[in-house]
Amino acid sequence: MIKVTIKCFSQVKYALGENELVLELENGSTSSNLEKIIRSKANGQLDDISLRIAINQHYESEDTELKDGDEVAFIPPVQGG
Amino acid sequence: MVKVKIINKPITPFISDDSRKQDGAELIFNGRVRNTENGKEIIALEYEQYEGMAELELKNIAQLTCEKFPINDLFCQHRVGIINIGEISLHVVIWSKHRKEALAAMDWFILRLKKLVPIWKWAIMTDNTRVPSECEH
Repeated sequence: MIKVTIKCFSQVKYALGENELVLELENGSTSSNLEKIIRSKANGQLDDISLRIAINQHYESEDTELKDGDEVAFIPPVQGG
Repeated sequence: MVKVKIINKPITPFISDDSRKQDGAELIFNGRVRNTENGKEIIALEYEQYEGMAELELKNIAQLTCEKFPINDLFCQHRVGIINIGEISLHVVIWSKHRKEALAAMDWFILRLKKLVPIWKWAIMTDNTRVPSECEH
């Protein structure tokens, strides 16, 4: 098993009611596996929201295998400025 | 040269003085908090950041802007936390030899910032409820 930390922001934080989650996942789990888990925890509140993934504070465009200790964020559309 | 900062207090604009001899253009942009959100009155915006990543992305975009356009310097401050109506949330200054490249670089920089820097807005409504902002401009 691996343990990853999920940072929650904006609509993800609103939907999950948490700033941060720590989850244990099967070895070999990927970012898309984790995204499905996060979306299911949101009970539909994230269904219409596109999420970009960041692993260890860098955007990843491909499905990526997660490692023990990774920090993951599912980034809803950003709104800086 | 690039200088970027994300701060949690009112923005003090970068110094504008007469020391720059090679720059014919000094372009300043201030983004301020409006009093409405999707037609509804608000009292403030709260800006949330992904601490660490937001400043990294901002710096990357500033550096890319300097590589893409013939500008000399780009300085940027982005404020986070609660920002009242009328206050500055984003302050950018670009210096270049001529105005055209500074104007193009400013537009490109801000567009990229709005697409990539992990910062979000929460609208604080007149009844003090706090909701994720839906503004994407």
